[in-house]
Amino acid sequence: MAQIFGPGMDLAARSVLIALGLGAAAAIAFACAMPASDYRTAQHETIAQPVPFSHQHHVAGLGLDCRYCHGAVERAANAGMPATETCMTCHSQIWTHAEMLAPVRASLAEHRPLRWKKVNRLPDYVYFDHSIHIAKGVGCASCHGAVARMPLIRKEASLSMGWCLDCHRDPAPNLRPRAALFDTEWRRGDDTPSPADLMRAYHVRTAGLTDCSTCHR
Amino acid sequence: MSDRLIAPGESFASVTDRVTGIVFDPPHRLGWWLLMLLALALVGLGTLAIGWLFVAGIGIWGINIPVAWGFAISNYVWWIGMASGGTMISSLFHVMRADWRSSVNRLAETMTLFAAACAGIFPILHLGRPYYFYWLFPYPNVMGLWPQFRSPLLWDFFAILTYVLCSMLFWYVGLIPDLATMRDRAPSRAGQIVYGLLALGWRGSALQWLRYQSAYRVLAGLMGPLVISVHSIVGLDFAGGLTPGWHSTQYPPFFVFGAVLSGFGIVLMLAIPLRRAYRLEALITPRHLDILARLTLLSSLAVGYAYAMDLFTAFYGDSRYDHDLALDRLIGHYAPLFWITILCNLLLPQALWWRRVRQDTRLLLVIGASVVLGMWCERILIVLQSLAHEYEPSRWGLFHPTFWDWATLLGTIGLFLAGLLLLLRLLPALSLFELRDLLARRGAAHG
Amino acid sequence: MSLRDTIRARLAGRTGPAYWRSLEELAGEVGFAGWIEEEFPGLAQAFGQALGRRHVLRMIGASLSLAGLAGCSPAAPDVEMAVPVEEPGMEPGSIRHYATATTLGGIATGVLVTHADARPIKIEGNPDHPASLGATSVFDQAALLQLYDPDRAATVTRGGAIATPGEAFGALRARLDALAAAQGAGLHILSGAFSSPTLAAQRAALIAAYPRARWHGHEPASRANVWRGAALAFGREAEPLPALDRAEIILAVDSDLLSAAPGHLSYVRAFAARRAPTAGMNRLYVWEATPSLTGAAADHRFAVPPRDTFRLLQKLAALIAGGSAGEAPGWLLPLAQDLAAHRGAALLHVGPEQPPETHTLAHLINQALAAPIRLIAPVLAPQSSDLADLCRDIAAGGVDTLIMLGGDPVYSAAGDLGFAELLARVPHRFHLAPYRNATAEASEWVIPEAHELESWSDARAFDGSVTIQQPQLRPLHGGSSAHQLLAVLLGSVDADPRAPVLAEWQRRAHAAGQASGFETFWQDALRKGLVADSAQPSLDLSPKIAIAALAAPPVADGLALLFRTDAALWDGRFANNGWLQELPHPLTTLTWDNAALIAPADAAQRDLATGDVVRLAIGRHAIEAPVWIQPGQAAGSITLPLGYGQVRGGRIATGVGFDAYRLRSHDAPWQQGGATLDRLGRTVAFAATQHQPTMQGRDLLRTVSLADLADAASGWDPERPEPSLYPGAEADRPAWGMAIDLSRCVGCGACMVACQAENNVPVVGKEEVQRGRAMHWLRIDRYYQGGEAAPRTLFQPVLCMHCENAPCEVVCPVDATVHDREGLNVMVYNRCIGTRFCSNNCPYKVRRFNFFDYAGAEARPAAARNPDVTVRSRGVMEKCTYCLQRIKTAEIAAERDGKALADGDVVTACQAACAARAITFGDIRDPHSAVARAKANPLDYAVLGELGTRPRTSYAARLSNPNPAIGEES
Repeated sequence: MAQIFGPGMDLAARSVLIALGLGAAAAIAFACAMPASDYRTAQHETIAQPVPFSHQHHVAGLGLDCRYCHGAVERAANAGMPATETCMTCHSQIWTHAEMLAPVRASLAEHRPLRWKKVNRLPDYVYFDHSIHIAKGVGCASCHGAVARMPLIRKEASLSMGWCLDCHRDPAPNLRPRAALFDTEWRRGDDTPSPADLMRAYHVRTAGLTDCSTCHR
Repeated sequence: MSDRLIAPGESFASVTDRVTGIVFDPPHRLGWWLLMLLALALVGLGTLAIGWLFVAGIGIWGINIPVAWGFAISNYVWWIGMASGGTMISSLFHVMRADWRSSVNRLAETMTLFAAACAGIFPILHLGRPYYFYWLFPYPNVMGLWPQFRSPLLWDFFAILTYVLCSMLFWYVGLIPDLATMRDRAPSRAGQIVYGLLALGWRGSALQWLRYQSAYRVLAGLMGPLVISVHSIVGLDFAGGLTPGWHSTQYPPFFVFGAVLSGFGIVLMLAIPLRRAYRLEALITPRHLDILARLTLLSSLAVGYAYAMDLFTAFYGDSRYDHDLALDRLIGHYAPLFWITILCNLLLPQALWWRRVRQDTRLLLVIGASVVLGMWCERILIVLQSLAHEYEPSRWGLFHPTFWDWATLLGTIGLFLAGLLLLLRLLPALSLFELRDLLARRGAAHG
Repeated sequence: MSLRDTIRARLAGRTGPAYWRSLEELAGEVGFAGWIEEEFPGLAQAFGQALGRRHVLRMIGASLSLAGLAGCSPAAPDVEMAVPVEEPGMEPGSIRHYATATTLGGIATGVLVTHADARPIKIEGNPDHPASLGATSVFDQAALLQLYDPDRAATVTRGGAIATPGEAFGALRARLDALAAAQGAGLHILSGAFSSPTLAAQRAALIAAYPRARWHGHEPASRANVWRGAALAFGREAEPLPALDRAEIILAVDSDLLSAAPGHLSYVRAFAARRAPTAGMNRLYVWEATPSLTGAAADHRFAVPPRDTFRLLQKLAALIAGGSAGEAPGWLLPLAQDLAAHRGAALLHVGPEQPPETHTLAHLINQALAAPIRLIAPVLAPQSSDLADLCRDIAAGGVDTLIMLGGDPVYSAAGDLGFAELLARVPHRFHLAPYRNATAEASEWVIPEAHELESWSDARAFDGSVTIQQPQLRPLHGGSSAHQLLAVLLGSVDADPRAPVLAEWQRRAHAAGQASGFETFWQDALRKGLVADSAQPSLDLSPKIAIAALAAPPVADGLALLFRTDAALWDGRFANNGWLQELPHPLTTLTWDNAALIAPADAAQRDLATGDVVRLAIGRHAIEAPVWIQPGQAAGSITLPLGYGQVRGGRIATGVGFDAYRLRSHDAPWQQGGATLDRLGRTVAFAATQHQPTMQGRDLLRTVSLADLADAASGWDPERPEPSLYPGAEADRPAWGMAIDLSRCVGCGACMVACQAENNVPVVGKEEVQRGRAMHWLRIDRYYQGGEAAPRTLFQPVLCMHCENAPCEVVCPVDATVHDREGLNVMVYNRCIGTRFCSNNCPYKVRRFNFFDYAGAEARPAAARNPDVTVRSRGVMEKCTYCLQRIKTAEIAAERDGKALADGDVVTACQAACAARAITFGDIRDPHSAVARAKANPLDYAVLGELGTRPRTSYAARLSNPNPAIGEES
């Protein structure tokens, strides 16, 4: 009877087997890498806001301090969003009729809150406290990046658990002098106290910083 | 002469015809279809149960606090037990060059394959959040977390995974030469191609045989330890716990005994109807059944010893909790399960001391079935009764199975049955090349 | 599936008609309410009102707390709310406390309401308030859930059709004008018991304006017997206040002293304080027909059938007077001697269920014993006429307009009054309704009543101290208070909720000539939650009658039915409260049901088993009820808890248990004889949380009597630390631990509800409880010792032990439960995959599993949840965390302000609620901490310590002080 398979079959069979092996490996690699990708973490992403507020203009340009708008950052877990009236302190005087600011005026007039889209959003089961990070010498920029150079605010860090742990395992490199906490442009200079000194100055203890209970309740 | 492993007058050709005939010219088509329909119906029920499980949550089962484990874990242990029994037959006895193995090993391996598959379903189903089962793998992740290597569950997961993969491999490798036979025998072109592809270009050259034999032996050598490991781990799932009735060092061997017993039981249960239906009496001879029966008896005694030790340590030891639990096992709410276990696993098999019983296929069938049932009762008893009566009496509570508990169990039984029936019609039910080899070595073959 | 149906039916927030009606009301706000509705359902009503700052801030809070819904709901909104107008001090994440009071039967308990982001999320006791002393009862805790109950009456209706408040008040005025000519004849008002000075003043003003109007009082759990008893003894009504701190021997006769009497929290505090050898341990005797918490706490408890009580008390009096008692139980003489021997430090207390004569007799004996008891005028405003009078007036056709202020009289009226039928005859019926209950259904006009946490009012505590109640938020359902309604009757044009209260207190200030300092007084009273020295002065009264001259009350012969308020639902007002429905009754551990409690002997004689349904009849009235065989119940008596079997009034309330009011008689509200019992052959399945009544001889709950204290404690093997390979607690961190003193615990269950409120513990419904899936992180085990007839009842609160060698941790395959540096056994919900191995491996069985999406199924606005605690999703394990969120809040605050954590900075929810101070929590590493000192107690032991788990929670054995002359625990 006639042969069912030609001699080429050997090669075909072998290459199929090899392909299967490689394919599986590739799939696993992809599955592992995917969650860390910007696509999943939304890192470096900007979101359309009701008002195209420019941190660059207000911070770098006008020299506003972070706390002018995010007033609770030193006292509370939540940094706080500025009340509409905070915007209006200036914008009742300048750009009073700017089309761009219509939603702001509407908010105050109709007494309905502005609904900003969250850019840096943590999972529901993570309890992050701004005040303690500020108190322990972690500056805004460590998580929020160079806000002063962002025309539109964007997510600067992946905010993945691994990313949080990197700092909780070794906070020293991310500490800065009190004066520089709110300066997103600050860079470590020669006169900056060493990380070790800062650790001492802020009484940062690493023991327990990586306990689950530090962030999860 | 009942000690013949192959009836006289069998030749290479006759054996091959007999076995390949089941595939290419199957008898009892109607019966097969009826059985298949039944199996598929059960599979459907099971699928429904699992679907609802994912929609509603594992609350649809009877589990509660204190009895947080129920059917799922017991069924898992039960299935995996039968699986390893099958592996035991094919691998261990291959390594030990036990000739009689040849005509039942394919059956045992196929059974193993599906039993293991059924078992494999449960550990994932029983999770509260099954979609996160992969957290059990130590893989690089953005959370910077590892699994918890002290937990027996983790090793159980690894063990069963390895075990399922290896038994598939073992089963397939064992098939290759027969697949070639099928290829050559297949009447249709399509059949030839499919079997041909699966046969991986087997030509039966001396070199191939040489490589094949060594490869197969290595695999067989690998499977034996795996049986032990997978079941010791399952035993440790319980022994690792603090729960009275679980916290016992003898559990790993105890579970292996049970596994082997149920394995022999199920093989008896399958082999007898099979040889009858497909007239394989010449190949699966009374001698085979006799050996299987003896092995069943042996493992039954081993299990009996384990039961005895369990009770002895409970009553001899000074832990009042173990003591109370053992007493409850004998006379408490779940006592019927215990006594059924004793009856099925210990008392009935004692009949196998008598040669007449070992030769009566009907009785053998009954005993095989009773052992399988008994093992299920034992597993469910260990899980439920221990959890129901732990340290704090204020938290004592019973488990009441729901419709969905039963549906899931039946579903897996359906899956098992369907799988067997399917392969019966697609692949040689007995290992052809080993039978021929046997014939050759017995010099019983004449053209 | 039946069970899911039930969860849905009982708990699920289906948008019923009442729900939307309230939205339709919002003139011009509909669109607005629309998007809030989609943002956080349930809060929608809150925005029905004109917007105020607190609303918007509450809205932020809501978004935060929604962010707590891990997996329970589709992802939380990715929106950050920015308020239009910032209010000073009202920043997100801020926690504040505002003082006010909750009332029960008109009597106040001072509380502090915790606000997260300006919305109430928790209730704590007010340490400055005499009735609270910082503690709370189950009812105080559950008031929060009541506040957020979506089933509360939400719309003004007329004959079932929607109307506006304006129309309703208009109609009221119209009736008033119509009746004005006749000086208000035909105008009748029905209220519950109240102590509010403002309401009293308003009532006076109304009666002054309409002399012929009638005001009736109706309180299902009335204390009338107490006052009448005093009147009989002293010639005027009075309320006795026992000074338990000075009492060495206490005899409680059918007394609710420790569980339900007004001021019981303070009594428990004082009683528990003396349950230690060092504190001059007191001795409590209890006679009672039906087991109570007071009985469970007793050193000697005697089951005395109601018919014998008075006679026995007479014999006791005789013995104390040195006479003879004739034939009497053996223990009576030693008891009498014990009382007599402690003259000046021994007292009797009698419960309101006993007839006046018993009270009189007790007063006289107390006088003889110079008992440490203070007599004060009843703090409740006197009610000249009651529901029976109203019924008579209606029957006589003299009632034209009936205004019912709150409550549910149609449901809670004694069956023999036939109030429901009579009500139909009243031409004009107004009901200020907390719920759409039976009364609301029977009324022409229904005006939603604001919850007391939503309204301005004032109320007196058991000792007369006044608290001015301030609203914690705008009425969620736009309800009105009784004060507002009366203000309308009195002709005020605007129904400003604060005006009446403010006016009354200004008037008082003027009267007292302190008008100048009023503003400071007012602010001070609101801040403290207490009007300075407003307590009732003691009355100096002398007996007007001799014991001999006292006539015995009529005794109830035959099978006696005892009517009692329910430990969870009280008189039924809490029937729609899931926390209380699912709170296991302390003695039966029964949830979602009431049962006819029957003595074991009676049950055996009638061959009844628990769950058998029987028909109980008195005269022509009959009910069907399942029986519960209750150890310690006096033979020949059956106890019927009130408050269940409602047919209207909310999704949870309806169809649970049986309605005992139908059998109740107005003239004999607490007990009736001559009942008949027939078995119906049906049975019901109860949902009890504990099935095993005894300890099975295991060493879980240790008891010691004062006598053999010395050798007992020394006999115990000291807890020797097992060698361990695992690292211990960090040296420079606190080591959290807890000590529970079983001698103090009375088993009231306040800790359970407090824990539920603090930790967002879901309610699961009856079927799930039956399946053994109740979720309480903290449970109270109840064990019986001794015979069924007169067992000793023991309570043991059990929560996560936070074992140092935790068996649960080693078996979790994904590290979802681990130890932290401070020795806490942490449960990481978001890592849990639900193998449940940890629960199997927990010898204390304190772990709870989300078999279904319980939290998601709750009809509870997200805003009502504690934003600092993750809401658990389906398929994850959960358990007590030692209130991790409180620990972290304290630690972060301390770190931020550079201070060291002080002992007492962290108070767990259960600890805060406990009136008995049975729970101590803190850093066991610090030898001076309260908890370390508590653990130094020689009676301190670890449950199941022999397993080597080294629990951080330890117990002090229960100490008893039996009378040697009577012997251990009769």
